[in-house]
Formats: sequence, structure tokens, C-alpha cells
Amino acid sequence: MKPWSFLIFCSLALLHLTGCNSSPPQFSNRAEFDDLEPYAQEYVSEVLDSYFGTPTESVAWERLPIEYHFAETTVSGSPSPRKVTLDVSAGGHGSIGPGTEIHFASSNESNWITEWDAATGLATLERKPTQTIAEGEAVIVGPGAILKNGRHLYAQHCQHCHGVSGDGNGPTARYLNPLPRDYRNGRFKFTTTNYDFSPSRDDLDRVIREGIPGTYMPSFKLLKQEEMQAIVEYVRWLSMRGEIEKQLIETALADYTHEAVKLRIDGGASRGEIETEFNKRVAEGEIQESLDVVVDLMVERWKGSDLPENMVQVATNRPPATPESIARGRQLYLDVNNKCASCHGDAGFGDGPQNYAFTPGKPGPGLYDDWNNPVKPRNLHTGIYRGGRRPYDLFCRIRASVKGTPMPKFDTMKEEDVWDLVNYVYSIPYEEEVAGSGRLEEMVDSAESETEPAAAESESNEVASR
Amino acid sequence: MSSATTTAPESGHGHHHHNPEDRLALLKQIWMFSTDHKVIGIQFLVTTLLMLMVGGALALGVRWQLAFPWENMPFFGLLFPTEGGQISPEAYTMLFTMHATVMIFLVIIPVLAGAFGNFLIPLMIGADDMAFPILNALSYWFMWPAIFCFGASFFFGGGPGNGWTSYPVLSAVPEAAPGSGFAQFFWLMGVTLVGVSSMMGSVNYMTTIINMRAPGMTLFRMPLTIWGMFITAILQAFALPVLTAAGFMLVSDRMLGTCFFIPSGMVINNADPTVGGGQPLLWQHLFWFYSHPAVYIMLLPAMGMVSDMLACCCRKPIFGYKPMVYSMAAIAGLGFIVWGHHMFTSGMNPALGMTFMISTVMIALPSAVKVFNWIGTIWGGRPEFNTVFLNCVAFVSMFIVGGLSGIFMAAVPVDIYIHDTYFIVAHFHYVLFGATLFGVFGAVHFWFPKMFGRRMDETLGKWHFFLTFIGFNGTFFPMHLLGVAGMPRRYADPYLHPYLENLLPMNQFMTICACLMGFAQFILLFNFAYSLFKGQKAGMNPWLANGLEWVAPSPPGHGNFAAVPTVYRGPYEYSAPERDDDHWLQTEPPKSSPVPEPPKPEPTPDSAPVGEDTGSSS
Amino acid sequence: MKWFWCLFFAFWPILGIAVCLVAPGYGWWFPGPAASPLGQRIDDLFYMILIITTLTFIGTQIGLAYVLFTGARRTDPDVQEKAWFSHGSHELEVIWSVAPAFILLFIALYQLDVWADYRVKDLFPHEKMEGLLSEGLHQKRDEHDNMHLAEVTARQFEWRIRYPGFDEDGNLLPLEREPQPTDLYDVNDLHLPASAPVMIMLKSQDVQHSFFLPELRVKQDAVPGLVIPVWFEATKKGEYALTCAELCGWGHYKMKARLVAESDEEFLEYLRELHRKQFFDGVVEAESEEDEDE
Repeated sequence: MKPWSFLIFCSLALLHLTGCNSSPPQFSNRAEFDDLEPYAQEYVSEVLDSYFGTPTESVAWERLPIEYHFAETTVSGSPSPRKVTLDVSAGGHGSIGPGTEIHFASSNESNWITEWDAATGLATLERKPTQTIAEGEAVIVGPGAILKNGRHLYAQHCQHCHGVSGDGNGPTARYLNPLPRDYRNGRFKFTTTNYDFSPSRDDLDRVIREGIPGTYMPSFKLLKQEEMQAIVEYVRWLSMRGEIEKQLIETALADYTHEAVKLRIDGGASRGEIETEFNKRVAEGEIQESLDVVVDLMVERWKGSDLPENMVQVATNRPPATPESIARGRQLYLDVNNKCASCHGDAGFGDGPQNYAFTPGKPGPGLYDDWNNPVKPRNLHTGIYRGGRRPYDLFCRIRASVKGTPMPKFDTMKEEDVWDLVNYVYSIPYEEEVAGSGRLEEMVDSAESETEPAAAESESNEVASR
Repeated sequence: MSSATTTAPESGHGHHHHNPEDRLALLKQIWMFSTDHKVIGIQFLVTTLLMLMVGGALALGVRWQLAFPWENMPFFGLLFPTEGGQISPEAYTMLFTMHATVMIFLVIIPVLAGAFGNFLIPLMIGADDMAFPILNALSYWFMWPAIFCFGASFFFGGGPGNGWTSYPVLSAVPEAAPGSGFAQFFWLMGVTLVGVSSMMGSVNYMTTIINMRAPGMTLFRMPLTIWGMFITAILQAFALPVLTAAGFMLVSDRMLGTCFFIPSGMVINNADPTVGGGQPLLWQHLFWFYSHPAVYIMLLPAMGMVSDMLACCCRKPIFGYKPMVYSMAAIAGLGFIVWGHHMFTSGMNPALGMTFMISTVMIALPSAVKVFNWIGTIWGGRPEFNTVFLNCVAFVSMFIVGGLSGIFMAAVPVDIYIHDTYFIVAHFHYVLFGATLFGVFGAVHFWFPKMFGRRMDETLGKWHFFLTFIGFNGTFFPMHLLGVAGMPRRYADPYLHPYLENLLPMNQFMTICACLMGFAQFILLFNFAYSLFKGQKAGMNPWLANGLEWVAPSPPGHGNFAAVPTVYRGPYEYSAPERDDDHWLQTEPPKSSPVPEPPKPEPTPDSAPVGEDTGSSS
Repeated sequence: MKWFWCLFFAFWPILGIAVCLVAPGYGWWFPGPAASPLGQRIDDLFYMILIITTLTFIGTQIGLAYVLFTGARRTDPDVQEKAWFSHGSHELEVIWSVAPAFILLFIALYQLDVWADYRVKDLFPHEKMEGLLSEGLHQKRDEHDNMHLAEVTARQFEWRIRYPGFDEDGNLLPLEREPQPTDLYDVNDLHLPASAPVMIMLKSQDVQHSFFLPELRVKQDAVPGLVIPVWFEATKKGEYALTCAELCGWGHYKMKARLVAESDEEFLEYLRELHRKQFFDGVVEAESEEDEDE
């Protein structure tokens, strides 16, 4: 045997194995998907595929309130055939630069920018457009580029926990406590919007920027503004995709789960009839209609989430954290109607009786969130505020709840009461160790320093307002 | 068989199922629970060469991620179908942890002490077997539970992701890291079992070398290989118990709720705060108290073997035999008081840091002396540029780099900057791969004829050397620059950090070189397998070397020597001016000696009881 | 063929040195010159060792190449010389033991100063720190108060930072060991005054991390259970990378943060801004609108 022939064989085998790659990333379906009849499953896949595509070949569905493009603007002039001036009065996007695609609406033609002057909006194009460009012509700069960037950044930073489809089930997720957010319900815990609304763009931005202390969500503070925006848009996009899938399965196609079909078969219908009926409904656009309703509602909600009027409103400034205010807060906390202590415990250690109570439909004792994961009420002594430590953040937690958890909303509570509660919550970590207790002299007579945190708070408020 | 040591049976006596002509006799036994040191040595060698490929594949995974972060990874990517082959960061931590683990515990330590120690020690000192053959066999068979444990941690627990150093608290709290659950436990068990294996070898080598030398084989007539093995055995005997103890402490921290290494109040993965009052630095002290000497365990035998091979290839006595021995002893001695240099940035009394710095810098001295002596050995020799010699020169050349880069990190202030950067990675790869593995490759080619009676193919050997050398330097030399540029170790995606962005092209170049190097190892495996059957037949002494192993048949039969050899001189008397022949076997009686040694020497008091032991065990 | 191998072994060190020489031009070298006085001294030491080791490297590689070439020459058909029969040379052994010993000892002793200045507590530049705190930042303090200006707590996988807050008159308070209601918090964004030594408290909330400022050549492990004082001085205002250099779990590489060294006034203004943001209570007035956008 010649050694060389074997070696060549070996290297070919090696090359072959190196080329042995897995298929591109795929969106996964929610668990309920498996309950559908095969034809309904096919329909869901078709809808999602045509409106959203795949992770690597995504589709920009214009109906969704998502900023897909760097800019949609108009031409304000064309100094030379290969140069156009774009209207950047609304502010040019930071990511526009050499290599950005530019799409002219009238000619339906794509071109690429080779030089870009952000201040004047002057773009030099890679090739001469086939038609002359008129002033006022609509152009899309970077069509779909934000979504594409978002996907790229999401894959780099987020995907291994939050999953390709935003299901909070990436490969790393199983090691984490609490589990990463599953975006597909459209529910996000820490928002400044009212109870019924989704998070605003700012809310998502803040969470990515500041991280969620006490969890594995780290701070991505040093991402550029454009990168942050791209991730936020992509997360919103994934969330909407997930919601549509969910709504489609739960409402539009509720009649075509295995269970529903079995019931109807028991009632005398045949399997073939149901499928024919389904196909007829699809052909007549009936299902599309119910989908449209769902989509409209969802779009309205997401759009509304960015409007200032749907944010949690505060009319009065936070009052100073006086002992009286804290005492009132404590009273409210213990109030039977407010039920704070039933979960967070009398002393705020997160050990209230609800932790051990059985709720019908839940797998075990204790509290569960919308994702059916067990949750523990926050221990208020740790000084860790997951949704942010600003007074406004705590105000929102009480007013609009921690969405998706058993934490109720207190949207009818009087504002001063909410503030008293906030002041009380702030004081809990310092109940034993009052402010300044690390200092020697305070250690000696800590008896008089009851009021110290309050004093410090009020002073800092003054500083803030200066 | 009890007479084997004292009478002079023909080779192969005691083994009826093969004849001396059967060149693969030793290989045929590797499936068996043989207690023959040669079989055990070959068992170790084959196992470690296979493990080398496993460790190499893991390293290529690491390299791939560094060159093409978050791209579809070949092989390992298949574990992540939904992500399209994009691995997750905890898989990356698992890759480098297991790469280091496999390479250190399953390749380098067992290939030196296990494979060559076993094969060479009795042959080189003129003994018929190890002092405790059953213990010896056990030391090999304890490798398999260890391999099983490492494999189990890989497949069932998601793989430990705490680095091979396994620093607590990360490794001590099961919630702290992915794969820190079962995987870390299995990993610790694996390390313990490897330790048991090493310890059995160590006891055996010391006893054998002290008690079973052939008549005339004084301590200073021993080949440097034996000195290397001897000193290594001592190092293992003294250092290993510390690691084993530390390992059990860590296991009990994890499973019994003790807190040797866990301070109180740590909140990990949203679990309740830890109770306890332990000290994570304790682990680092214990771990490095073993693992720094372990670095020399991974080097000294290779130094010894290279000395032997260089002298033979250059047909010249070793330059400065005694300084070589003393430097090895000095390295071993100093090796026990330098462990703190792994912890300069960990938080340590500054005065202690100074002490460790001085001892660490001074350990470069014996290493330097050895390098000079190797160059002195080649100086004035007439080297044949065969594969063995090339690998040995590469050993010296690479060890110079590895040694010199060590001075940077021995200096504490400089170490503050380069600690845990790729500079460190470059340094220890130059020592452990550049030096030790090239030495091992040379040794495989050199002693292959003794193991199997055939020579390895020279052309393939040279190609393997050439490609490995280029691939090696292309991979690891730029790592020095990465380190200087401040690229920390164990980053799944260094390019997240703007100051490291421009290092991507260099990392891609390194990955290509690493793939080349990985490919080259297939040549070695192929050469090994091919030469077993088709290699050129070798006689008793194909290299015309002086050592005792070359007076035994190739391969030696059970009991090794036809008669107990008598040693008249050291192993390096090449090109003696009074002889026409350029080699001078250790067993050849001096012509001037009027009274030749008796052909059947009296068994020394040392070797007699050992002979009985051997007899009863076979 | 033997000449090829001789050249091969002679060639690669030349290539290696050439690569090192061109590396700084491609940015494969230090991330900029050291941005702290101590870092500059560390760089000087690095270059000193680099020179010594490079000379040794060249010397030994030349020696190796020389013995290879002469050895190869000896086996030429027309030469066919026997190898020397030499067991070594006592003089040479002494020379090449003693000379390196002195060089190595020199290297070791020469480093001690910098190490001591970096780590020995008594040698910390206390006066300068005191001056910065009480004069530069107008901190109201007495001798019992901490010199630390920030507490950096490493956790998986971010740097949580705690600054002292302000008292009723808007003066900076000293940083206490335990959290205070007035304290200001930030994450992954460490702002400190430049041009004066500053000290931080380094802690870990979970596992071991390492506080690494590559441009300043500062590295200190954050050991769980210990509070470690770290001091450094940025010579110039600017942004510096802050990363983790000790394996801390799967997200080790994610601990990307920055150190912003700025003037004393800018630092105080930064803290005030932090204060405004942190105590924002949702009442949207004209002045606080930008907080909303943030």
C-alpha cells in the first residue's frame, strides 16, 4: 500500500467533514402548535413564513409598527447624475454610510452609497441611476437594514439565552434563574407604560442599557445608539411574531386543535369534512379576517405603547421620605385590601403566605407567572431593584404592576398613597442599618438616627431639583 | 519465571503464545491486562496518542470560535441545530476547559510518565520489569475510569466550564456555571482518578529506579531519561496528595455543604446567599502547589529523553552530564516554591509576592543551563538530520522561547499586565507543546524500533515534523502579540471590546495554522500504524546507541534481557577516540580490564527480592 | 537535505523577530502607551526584559544555528570528521550558570520597587488622594473617612458601581463601606477624576473576577469575600477599556465596561447628573424631559 494514497484519502475525508455544516437557524414554534391538526399547522407556518420569513431571510412586513429602514425620506436635489441630496431634516440615521443600500420608489431600483455626508445629506451613488431622479422622489435608505443589523446583533448578544425565536429558550437558558424573558406573549415585566400596554421603545432600551440587577441580564451599556435601536426593533419584531403565532393558534384556529376536532368527530362530523371546511374558510378569507382583527389590535397596542399618554402618569413630586410618610406606607403595606404582605411577607422578606398557597390550574404551591414558571415575591431587603431604582420605577411597579406576574396593579390607588408606599419600600433595606451607620460616630448612637434616611432623601431631592 | 532475573533465559521465555519473530507481539497484548511494563507502556502510548487527537479537536473548536466568532462551527455546531450551528458561550467555556483537561491529564502527563516511563525505565536500568508489576498495570487501568469520568462530564453534564484550574467559587457552587452540576463533579473524580494512576506510577518508578538497577549501573551512570523520570516521580509523590485533598474539599463543598472555599454572602444565580466563611484563595494555593510542579512533571522526562536522543544523534557524549542532573534537581526543588506566581493578581501579601518573584526568576537559571548544555552537546557532533534529531532540535529551539517568555510573567509588575492574557497561553504552549510534545514526537520515532522491531517511515516523519513545526509556530507565536495587545484568555468573543477588534485577522491566520497542525497529526497516526506493519525492520540497535535498552531484542521479550546486563560505563560514550566504532555500549566490557566481570553476576541484595516479586506476579 | 534543515532552524527565529518588529505597525502591540505613571514604569520594565530576552534569544539561536551548520559540515563526504569526545567544560558551566544568575537576580530585584508601589498599602500616594478628595472634589471628610471614591462590585456579568452621594449642601460625601440611601449607582461605566491617584474598593458579588484596565496596565482580581483597595492614576482624560480577566462563567467576555477619566468638575457634574437621573420621580417637567429620553 502506498502511504500517499491513504493520506490523500484522509485529507479528503477531513475536508468533507469540515464542510459538514448544519442548516441555517430556524424559528421554533410554541408548544401549542403541536396541538393543531396538520393542515392548520401548515397554515400557521405559511402565515408566519410569508409575513416574517426565517431568521436569516427575514421579511419586513410594513403593517407592523417597526422601523425597518434607516430612513424613509425624499430627494431634495441631485447635483450630478451620481449624486443625490437627501432630506435629513428629520435627522439622518447614524448607521448610514458607505455600503448602505438606497432604494428609489419610482424606478423601483436599488443603488448603493459610496460616500455619505451626514450633515448635508449628500450621497454619492455607486452607479448612475437608470432614470433621472426628480426632486421630492421618495427613497428608502437602507431598506430592512435595521432589522438585518438587529438580527446580527441579536445573534451575537442575546440569542444564546433568549433563543432564535425569542422564546427565552436558548442553549444557555436552562442554566439561568430566573429564566430569560420569552417575548412571544408580548408581555415584558419592567415597563413604564400602563398595565394594558406593551413596553415602549425606551423601556426596552433602558433594560438593555442598564441590565436587570439580580438576574443574568447584563448591562449592554457600551453598545452604540444605533446598535441599541436595532436590537430594540428586532426584539419588538420577534415579540410581534410570537404574538401573532399565539393569537393565530389560540383564537383563529382554535377550532382545529386535536381536541376540538375530536369533539366534533364525536359529535358526528368526519375528519375530511372538517378539513374541507377549513380549506373553504381559508379560501374565503374568513381566517385571514380574524387574523386581521388580531393583528390590528396588536399593532394598535404596540403603537400606543410609545405614546406619552399611555405612560404611567405622575402628577405630584415624590414627597420627602419623612418618618410619617414611611409609617403611612407601612400601614398601606400591611393593609388587608392591598395584600402586599400576603406575598412579600410582613417584614418584606418575600416570604408571605401566598408562597405556600395552592392555586387551581398551577402545577404546585406558590406563585407562577404568565409563562408558568414559579416566581418568588421580591425580598425587599436586598436593595436590588430589578426594574430600576428610580422613584418613578418603583411608582410604575406599583401602578402598572410587574407585568406577567401575580403582582397586581394599583391603578386606582391615590397617588400620595403610592408615594408613601414607595418611601416605605425604599426604607426597608435600611431598617436595621440606618444611613451613615457605617461611620464610627453613628454606630455609637444609632438610636437617634431613625430619621436620617428620610432627611438624606429629602435633601437629595433638593439637590436633584437644583 | 522467578529465575528470569538471575538465570539467562532466551528472550520470550515465559510467553508461549508468541515467538521472538513476532514483531507485533507487544501490540497484540494491549487488549489484555498484562503486567509487562512494555505492554503497559504501549497501552499508555496508544491511549495518549488517541487522546491527543481528541484534545486537538477541542482546541480547533476554540480556535474556530476565535477566528469566526458566532459563525456556524463544524462538528460542534451540530449540537446547536436551532441556532444554525452557532455555539453558545458556555459551550465555548466547555471546549477550552476540556481541551486543557484532556491535554494535561490524558496526554502529556501519561505520555511521559506512563508511556515512556513504563517502557524505558526497566529497559534502561537493566531490570526485567517494574518493581510492582500489578500496581503498574493498575496505574494504566485507572486511566480508563478517569477517561470515562471526563467523558461523562462532557456528555451528561454539559461539560464543566470552569477552566482546568477550576477556581472556586465558580466551581464550588453548582449554580454558578453551566455544566457545574454533575459535570464538575465528574471532572473532579476524573482528576482524582488520574491522580491515583500517577501516584501508582510514581511509587513504582521510585522503587524500581532505586532498587532494580543492573550491576554497575550507579546513579551517575543512569541515562538522563531515568533521572528525569526519577525526579518526576518524586515531584508527583510530594505534590499530588495536595491536589487530591483539595479536590475532595471541593467535592465536599459542592455535595456536603462544607465551605472550605466559599465565603459568606455570595449571591449566585439568584440563589440564596451562601453561608460559610471559606476562602477561595485557599484553593488557588492548594491547586498551584500541585499544578506548578506538575508543569515540571510535564517537562522533566522530555528533557531527559531529548538529552539521550541528542547525544545519540550527534554521536557525542552529553555536554555536562552532572550539571544536567543537578539542574533537573534544582528545577524540581525550586518548582515547589514558585506556585504563588500564578496568583500575583489574586490578592496576596506583597512581601510574599516578592519572594515568589525571586524564586520564579531563579528557576530560569537551571533551565538556561540545560539549554546551553544541549547546544553544547550538538556542538562538535556529527548530527544525522533524521526525524528524531529534528524534533529534538525543535524541542531546544522552542524551549528557549518558552523559557524566555516565562521571565516576563515571573516579573510581578509585568505580570500584572500580562496575567491571564494570551501571553500566558503562548508561554505554556511553547513549553508544553513546543518543548514537551516535540520531545515526545522525537521519542516516538526513536524508541518505536525497540517497541515494535520496525522503524517509522522517515519521509512521513519529516513531513509530520515540518508541518507541525510550521503550524505550531504559526499558531502560537502570534499569541505573544495578542497577549501584549491585552487580549484576555477564555473570551468567547474578544472582538466585542473595541481595543481588540484589530486582532481578528491575526486570529484567523492562527486558526488556519492550527488546522494545518491538526492535519499533520494524522500523518503521525498514519505513520505509526503503517510502520507497525510495513516499516523497515530494525535490529537490536538501529541507532547504534549505547543505552542498555539497545542490548535487548527488538521488541524485548518478557523479562527484557537475555542475561542480566552488567554496566561498565555511562550511556554517552560516543566517538571515544580510542575506538574505531563511534558507539560504546554500556554493557561492553572494557578491553583493558584484565578480569572481565563474571558472566553470571551475583544478584545484588536489592534486586533479589524484587525478582521474586516479579516471579510471583507473572 | 541537511542544509535545508539547518537553514530552517536558522530562519524561523529571524522570521519571529521580524514579525515582532512589524507588529506595532499593525496595532498588534500594547493598546496605546501606558496611560498611568505606574503603567509607564511597567512598560519600561517590560521593554527592559524584552531587550534582555531578545538578546538571549538571538544569542542562543545563533549558537544553535552555528552548532547545526558546523555539525552538518562534519558529515560532508569530503570532511567526515569524527565528533568531539568531550564530556563538557567546567569553565563554561560556571560561566553560563553565574552570568545568567546575576542577570536574573538583577531582573528580580529591579522589579521590586514598582510592585511595592502598586501593592504595599503604606506606599500608596495617600497625600495626593487626600488632596484630590478634599480640595479637588470638596469632599467633607475627616481622617476616619474612606479614601475610596467608588465601590466596584463585579457580578456575573457586569460591573456594578457605587459612588458616594451628596449632602444637603450639595457637597460630596465620603464613601461608606455599607450602602447608604444617598449613594449613587451606575453600571459598566466608571467615571473618575484624571491626573490624580484615585482608589476604589473592589468587591465581588458572586465568583472571582478580575478588574483589568489594559491601557492603564492595572489588573486586580476581585476575590469573593474580600474588599480589595485598588489605586491607579489616569494621566490623560479619556475613555479606557475595563474588562474582566479572570474566568467568571459563560459570560466572561461580556463584562465590557469603560473607565472615563475626566476633570474634577466634570466628575462632579457627572455625579450630579447621576443623582438627577436616579431620583427622577416621573413628574415630567421641561428640565427632566431628557431623562425620559435616556
